[in-house]
Amino acid sequence: MSKIKIGIIGAGRMGITHYSIINSHPQVEISSIADPSGLMLSMMKKYLPVKTFKDYHELFKKDSPDAVLVCTPPNLHNDILKTTFENKTHVFVEKPYTTDLNQAAHLAHLFEKEGLVNQVGYVNRFNDVFKEVNRLIKKDVIGKLIRFKSEMFSCTIAEPDDGSGWRSSREKGGGAVYEMAAHAIDLVNYLVGKPDKVIGSNLNSIYSKKVEDAVSSTFVYKNGCSGTIYVNWSDTAYRKPTNKIELFGTKGKIQADQHSYKIYCNEDDPEQGFRKGWNTRYITDVFENVPFYVRGNEFTSQLYHFIDCIQTSEKKSLCSFSHGADAQEVIHRIFNDYELNGKA
Amino acid sequence: MNMDAIDKIVFGDNQFFGINHMSQEKAQQLAEKFFDIENIYNVYRLAFDAGVRGVMLNSNDRAKEICEHFRDNASQYPALHWYPSIPYPHKYANLVAEKGIFPAINEVLFKDNSARKVMGMISKGSAAVVTKDAVKLMQLLIDVEMKIFKGLDIKVVFLQNIITDLILGYDLKDIFYEYCEYIRKKYDALPGLITQNMPYLKQKFEDWGITKVVICASYNKIGYLMSPDVESYEKAAQQNNPDDYQLMAMSTLASGAVPAREAYDFINRQRLQSVVFGASSKRNIDETVSLIDL
Repeated sequence: MSKIKIGIIGAGRMGITHYSIINSHPQVEISSIADPSGLMLSMMKKYLPVKTFKDYHELFKKDSPDAVLVCTPPNLHNDILKTTFENKTHVFVEKPYTTDLNQAAHLAHLFEKEGLVNQVGYVNRFNDVFKEVNRLIKKDVIGKLIRFKSEMFSCTIAEPDDGSGWRSSREKGGGAVYEMAAHAIDLVNYLVGKPDKVIGSNLNSIYSKKVEDAVSSTFVYKNGCSGTIYVNWSDTAYRKPTNKIELFGTKGKIQADQHSYKIYCNEDDPEQGFRKGWNTRYITDVFENVPFYVRGNEFTSQLYHFIDCIQTSEKKSLCSFSHGADAQEVIHRIFNDYELNGKA
Repeated sequence: MNMDAIDKIVFGDNQFFGINHMSQEKAQQLAEKFFDIENIYNVYRLAFDAGVRGVMLNSNDRAKEICEHFRDNASQYPALHWYPSIPYPHKYANLVAEKGIFPAINEVLFKDNSARKVMGMISKGSAAVVTKDAVKLMQLLIDVEMKIFKGLDIKVVFLQNIITDLILGYDLKDIFYEYCEYIRKKYDALPGLITQNMPYLKQKFEDWGITKVVICASYNKIGYLMSPDVESYEKAAQQNNPDDYQLMAMSTLASGAVPAREAYDFINRQRLQSVVFGASSKRNIDETVSLIDL
C-alpha cells in the first residue's frame, strides 16, 4: 500500500506535536507544512524533508496531500476547511473545530456526504480512563444519570496579558471557553449527551483583559438529568491541567480524571468486577499501549485512529465534525446565556 | 573506550514535586508534605543512609534551592553524583500556550539573568535567530537550564522524555548528535535521554551510530508507559551492549500498581545497568534499596 501523504497547516504547539506523532506512523509520509511564520518555516525547511508554504492554498495546489492536519488559530479553521473540502482531502482539525456555528453543521454535512474522513481533536475521547467510564455508563453500571459536574483547572494564564494575539480575542477562538472548557463540554457531550438547555452561565476575567479566564454553567436535559461545568485556567494551585468529572446515577456514581476513576456501586456488580461501595481503578488498570508515545497515549491514539479511518473506509471517526459541531453549539449557548442573563 | 559506569541506584525526585502518574490526589498530598523544603532534605538523608549516592533532579522551580543547599553544605553529605534532567516541561508548556513558541523561548533565555549575562546571551541569541540555527538555540537553552547545577558533580545530563520523544518523532539525528556532543564537551558528563519509546530510540541511535549514551525509560512488569510493549523492551535490553548504551529503569512500580518485591523480581532479571526510584519513607527507601540487585 502506498503511504498516505499528509500536509500540516499551522506549526504552533499542536502542529509541532502532531508532526512528531504522525511521523512515527509507518504508513504515513508528511510531505508539506504551511505556516505564515517565516522563522518557523525556515527552521523546518532547514531540518525536515518537507515542502514548506507560507500560504496553505499553495500547499493544496503544489503538494495535493491525501489528508491534512489543521492546527491554526480556530478562527481560520472555517476557510481552511472549505478549501480542504474543495480539494477533496481528509482532515483532522484541532478543537474547537470552527468558531462559526452555522458553518459547523454545514461542513460536517459536506464532508460526510463526500465520504471524507473528518475528525476534531477532542482528545479526551481517546483517553483510556474516559473511554472506560463511557463503556460503564453505556453498560448502565451506575444506572440512569441524574447529576454530573465537569471541571477543569490549570495555571495556563497566571499573569496579565498584553491583550494582543489571537488568544486575547473570542472572535479568533481565544479565551478559557474555547481553549479549555471546550474539552470539559465535549466530555459531557461524550458521556452524558448534548444538553437540551444551558442556564446560569457565568464568565470571569482573572488576568486576561479581553477574554474570560473562568467559566461556569448549568446543563439541563429533557430526561430530568442536569449538571454543571466549572473551568478555570488561572488557578495556580494546579501544576498541570486537570480534568475531573463526577457522575451520579440511580445505581451508583463515578468520579474520574485522566489518570484514575472511583466508582461507588449501590450493589455488587460481579460482571464488571465491582463490589458494593467504593472501587478504585487506575490508568495502570485500563491503559492500552500505543506504538509511539510523545505526550500521552490519547494524543497518539487519536491520530492513529484518523489514519485508520482513512485506510478503512467503513470505519467512522470517534470524534467527527458532527461531534465538534455539538460542542460548538453548547459553547454558543453559554455565551448567549451569559450575555442575556449572566450580568448583575 | 568504555563508558564511565553510572550508579546502580539513583534517587529520583517526582515524589517531592507533586508528580504521580496514577493519581492526582496522591500527587497533591505529596506536594503538601514537601512544601517545607527541610522535609525534602530529610528524605535525601534517608536515601544516603541507605547507601544511595546518585541523585536525579529536574530543573524545576525548587531545584535551584536544593542545589544551593547541597553546594553550601557539601561537607555534611557523602560525595554525590548528580543526574540533572532538563528542562522543566510545564514551564515551557505554559509559556508557549500564553505567548507562542518564539516569544516563550525569548522569555526563557532572557529572564532572570544578570545584566552582563543578558547582554552576552542576547547577542548569542539573536545570532541564533538570524541564522535560524536550532543547534545554537538548543545550546543556549541547555545552558539556561543547567545554570543551577553548577559546582555539583554531574554524571549524566538527561533530556526529559517530552523533548526527547518529540525530537525522536521528527527523526532528527543531527539534533541528538549535537546534544550528546555538547553535554560531553561543555559539561564533561554523559549524555542521557529519557524516553517512553526505548526500543525505538535505541534502534535509531544504533542506526545513526550515536553511542556512549545513557537511556532512561519506564520499565515495569505491566508495561505501563512502555511503547510499544514490554516484550520489545525485554528484547532490546537483552541484546544491548552496555558499553554502548547504559539502560536506567524508571517507573519500576508503575506508579504503585506493582508491589515492590514483584516489581524488582522482574527488574533484576532484565539486563539493566541502573534504576532510578523515588520514595519518601525510610521503610520504602530501605526496602527498595535492598530489593534492587542488578
